[in-house]
Amino acid sequence: MAKILDMPKLSPTMEEGVLSAWHKKEGDEIAVDDLLAEVETDKATMEFRAFDKGTLLKLLVQAGANVKLGQPVAIVGAPGEDVSALAAQAGAAVASAPHEKQAPATGAPQTPSAPSAAKAPPPATQPQARAAESQPTPAGRVETLAPPAQRRPPVVNVLERTSYAGEAPAGNGHDGGRVLASPYVRKVAREMGIDLQGAQGSGPGGRVVPADLEAMRGRTPAAPLARIAPGAETLAPAAARAAVPAAEEAEVRPLSPMRKTIARRLTESKQTVPHFYLSIDVDASQLVRLREQINGELASSGDGKAANGTGDAAPLKVSVNDLLIKACAVALVHVPECNASFTPEAILLHRRVDVSVAVAIPDGLVTPVVRRADQKSVVAIAREVRELAARARARKLKPEEMSDGTFSISNLGMFGIDEFAAVINPPEGAILAVGQVRDVPVVQDGKVVPGKRLAMTLSCDHRVVDGAVGAAFLAELRRLIEHPLRVLTG
Amino acid sequence: MPADSNIAHVATEQSTPAPQTLGASASPAATPGAAPGAELEHLAHLYREMLLIRRIEEESARAYAEGKIGGFLHLYIGQEAVGVGSIAALRPDDYVITTYRDHGIALAKGMSPRALMAELFGKATGCSHGLGGSMHMFDKEHHMLGGYGIVGGHIPLAAGVAFASKYRGDGRVTLCLFGEGAVSIGGFHEGLSLAALWKLPIVFICENNEYSMGTPLSRSMSVEDVSLKALGYGMDRDRFFADDVLEVEQRIGEAVKRAREQSLPTLVEVRTYRFRGHSMSDPAKYRTQAELEEHKKRDPLHRARALLVEKGYGEPRLDGIEKSVEAEVADAIKFADESPEPTLADLEPTTYKGPFAY
Amino acid sequence: MATMRFREALREAMIEEMERDERVFLMGEEVGHYQGAYKVSEGMLEKFGPKRVIDTPIAEGGFAGIGVGAAMVGLRPIVEFMTWNFSAVAFDQILNNAAKVRQMSGGQFDCPIVFRGPNASARQVGSQHSHAMEHFYATVPGLKVVAPAFPGDAKGLLKAAVRDDNPVLVMESETMYALKGEVPDGEHVVELGKAQIVRHGTDVTLAAYSRATHVALDAAAALEKEGISAEVVDLRSLRPLDENTLVASVERTHRMVVVHEGWPYGGVGAEVADRVQRLAFDALDAPILRVATLDVPMPYSSKLEQACMPQPDRVVAAVKRLLVRGRA
Repeated sequence: MAKILDMPKLSPTMEEGVLSAWHKKEGDEIAVDDLLAEVETDKATMEFRAFDKGTLLKLLVQAGANVKLGQPVAIVGAPGEDVSALAAQAGAAVASAPHEKQAPATGAPQTPSAPSAAKAPPPATQPQARAAESQPTPAGRVETLAPPAQRRPPVVNVLERTSYAGEAPAGNGHDGGRVLASPYVRKVAREMGIDLQGAQGSGPGGRVVPADLEAMRGRTPAAPLARIAPGAETLAPAAARAAVPAAEEAEVRPLSPMRKTIARRLTESKQTVPHFYLSIDVDASQLVRLREQINGELASSGDGKAANGTGDAAPLKVSVNDLLIKACAVALVHVPECNASFTPEAILLHRRVDVSVAVAIPDGLVTPVVRRADQKSVVAIAREVRELAARARARKLKPEEMSDGTFSISNLGMFGIDEFAAVINPPEGAILAVGQVRDVPVVQDGKVVPGKRLAMTLSCDHRVVDGAVGAAFLAELRRLIEHPLRVLTG
Repeated sequence: MPADSNIAHVATEQSTPAPQTLGASASPAATPGAAPGAELEHLAHLYREMLLIRRIEEESARAYAEGKIGGFLHLYIGQEAVGVGSIAALRPDDYVITTYRDHGIALAKGMSPRALMAELFGKATGCSHGLGGSMHMFDKEHHMLGGYGIVGGHIPLAAGVAFASKYRGDGRVTLCLFGEGAVSIGGFHEGLSLAALWKLPIVFICENNEYSMGTPLSRSMSVEDVSLKALGYGMDRDRFFADDVLEVEQRIGEAVKRAREQSLPTLVEVRTYRFRGHSMSDPAKYRTQAELEEHKKRDPLHRARALLVEKGYGEPRLDGIEKSVEAEVADAIKFADESPEPTLADLEPTTYKGPFAY
Repeated sequence: MATMRFREALREAMIEEMERDERVFLMGEEVGHYQGAYKVSEGMLEKFGPKRVIDTPIAEGGFAGIGVGAAMVGLRPIVEFMTWNFSAVAFDQILNNAAKVRQMSGGQFDCPIVFRGPNASARQVGSQHSHAMEHFYATVPGLKVVAPAFPGDAKGLLKAAVRDDNPVLVMESETMYALKGEVPDGEHVVELGKAQIVRHGTDVTLAAYSRATHVALDAAAALEKEGISAEVVDLRSLRPLDENTLVASVERTHRMVVVHEGWPYGGVGAEVADRVQRLAFDALDAPILRVATLDVPMPYSSKLEQACMPQPDRVVAAVKRLLVRGRA
């Protein structure tokens, strides 16, 4: 009874091989253990010896062929047997075997190939600075070890190296809004129904420690989103909202990281900062006229183009908002109590005046900071705001450009808003919301004449800015706006 | 070589160092007092055992090539006379312990081909429930103590088994087999040293098949005569070629007797040859085809068969033996094929006795 | 209850077990005529004779293997390493044979052997003689490892080890052999795998074993003076490890420092830290810190050796670093 001989597994890791030489030919008698062929594998040239005896009726592969494990290689049987059916069957099997090299299974060694192009980069050479800092010993030999202070023996420190807030040089404990609390504290908080979001504890870096939890009892989950502009939809608290609506009821838009940040920070603001609001309606006519004069100067002097921070062809123009930024900055210098932040231990009166400017961008809002706004010219402020806004819209602002302001200004005048109240950006103490310049009839010297008015609302953190302070700031601001040359003079 | 009183009482030759004396193998010594018929039956029995081992090993090689056996597979083909002859000199309750080239030893000691093949196939019905594999053949009932993968690591164990026999005074003997490759490693020396010091009832059998994997004797040993190491430990020794299973039985038998009656160890170097590579991944390029063919002419299996024919055992009965061996082998393979695999549940109870300790 | 030294407690355990079961014997270097390198087996040769108290030549691989072979066929050897450092040359017998015969034989053969000896530092004996070997062995399935800190536990655990049908490694300490302690009368067997709280506390759990248990107790006393209440858990058993006692303790204290001899990389302390953070994560108010031997070979100089070893002041410092994060 004829049978097909398949390529056997000649070594533990063999997947395929090259049948380099047949040692028997068709028609030969073979006995058990006779050498049939030599097979080159990845490891060595192995001998394919017969397990059966009989006559070698047909060779199915040629010497030199690449053969896979299990592939038919010969037919053995009784002399003269007809093997055409078997050969056909074997031929089909051979044809269906993939010819390209398969990836070896686990454990099979790779055929050594040319050294791969992706070599690891050579190790960086040790900085030579240490060796250079040598101190000649009395014998004149050069000390080749770095000074002991630079050598930090790891052994003493290795188990002492940890990384958790309160030990490392600090941030303000906020860590991007993440609450510092151990697994145990979080568990107990859950059990007590305390929402730790935005919480500040008494541990280092604002860590919430177990002792803080009793005092936090009653701290509730997220409140409605703060107003950014009147008329904006208020979302119901997550708990009260129905399950995610079916596709035909509402478009489901996943939260982008920016939206999440906005949600978190403004929620935290409204939850923890006691807001109150002071409004004034100032005469903006002088401000508008000053702006026209400035822009005229810029256009005619040709400085506009060069001064344009964005690098495009449009000449730089100073806006009302740029003037207001400067005005606020100057006012803050005069009323420093309004340039302050609350912390549990103390009120911080900032020596610097860094004004955060709200910039609307697609899908949201960012607040790049104009540093030292009190010390910059209006033109410099205008240039900087233009450039920051452009980069904001292109999402290219760096985190440090958007943080650590001391006061914010938000202007919705370009959207036609007359007046509104904004949400404070913690840890700032206040934010000024500005509407559009309105042409309105006003009373002047007993007569009704056309005038320009500008409504502004100051939102204050009552923990640090009292009504009187806020009022004083706004009074100063009005003075500067209505006599705007004082903006330039400071 | 100075005359050495330690080996004076060994019945067969060996006080001269010349290896030429190895060429002369004694004619098969009859068991004193046995009738010639009994002798022939005994030889036939030994022949059957060797043939069973040979066929099991050949089928294991085929099964390995078919992917049914994985990992390492070290075949005993060509060395059958050593295992069969040595164990024939033992009592059933004597102990045997050997290396990873253990299939033939296990079978000779009484393990069933089913249990062996199933273990090779990694099945739950294997002697070690499929957890040991080719190198770890154990059979408590037949006092087969394994099957070890670390060269020379089992030699102190063997000394310990003999130690226990002496401690208890149970009169048992321990056979410890290993290859000549083990003669360089610490475990060999410490085992022999302590066995000689404490006069343990053990026979150390070095199956010198001339190659430690790919390294021939000339490149692995400063002194080619392994049995000479016994002198360093003050131990008796013997040395001969294992072409004749009856001679193996007789000469090992003397060492066994010494162990049992005098509680003294012996180091016996048995020169043999393996017809296959060290293991399945060894193409054995370190020897020539001519050398292999020469050794095959001295195949102890053929020699035993020829002797049986010569002594009138008769082809029909031989044919009967051969057929019964084929049937037994086929049965073992079928059993192994059809047996179930072990499961994860088998792992914990075989790691610790009692509750798992973690 | 009797007061005796650690070495006497070990000796009593061996004598009692050898009297109880004739399959038990003691083998090792200098255990007989020399009366024991550290006098643990003093008097035993005279009592039991050379068949059962056996002096060996210097051949740890050989006699460890002999012990394993004898155990496989039913004897119950106690094999002493003069120090656990020397087990390194017998590592093959312990790892490849003692721990594995049961599985290699599919459960047919067991290895009811005890390996014992002094372990870890021993006062200026240098780097080759100061290893805390338990870290290498506790990781091996098939072995059990114990490390008593008090004489009572030394006796009880050694007796339990002899009676256990698995290979058990008993880690003693040369520096504790003279330590006195109370040992209960009668058949005193301490179950393997059970830790013991040797000092109750509320602010932090100090998990330790062997010599380091005493370091932890000293640290706890110092902490108490500063109003910090430390609980000390003496592990006693390293494999099996009593994770339940550790978890229960951390659930009360919310903080843990693990103290042991031996290097920081991996090892028993790392295993303890993993278990607790995995099984009691929500109970933790701080990361788990470890105080161990410094990550260098042990130096000879006395001051440096002391600086390398885990000491009470380092434990106190570690506890304080955890508490600076706030207390429960």
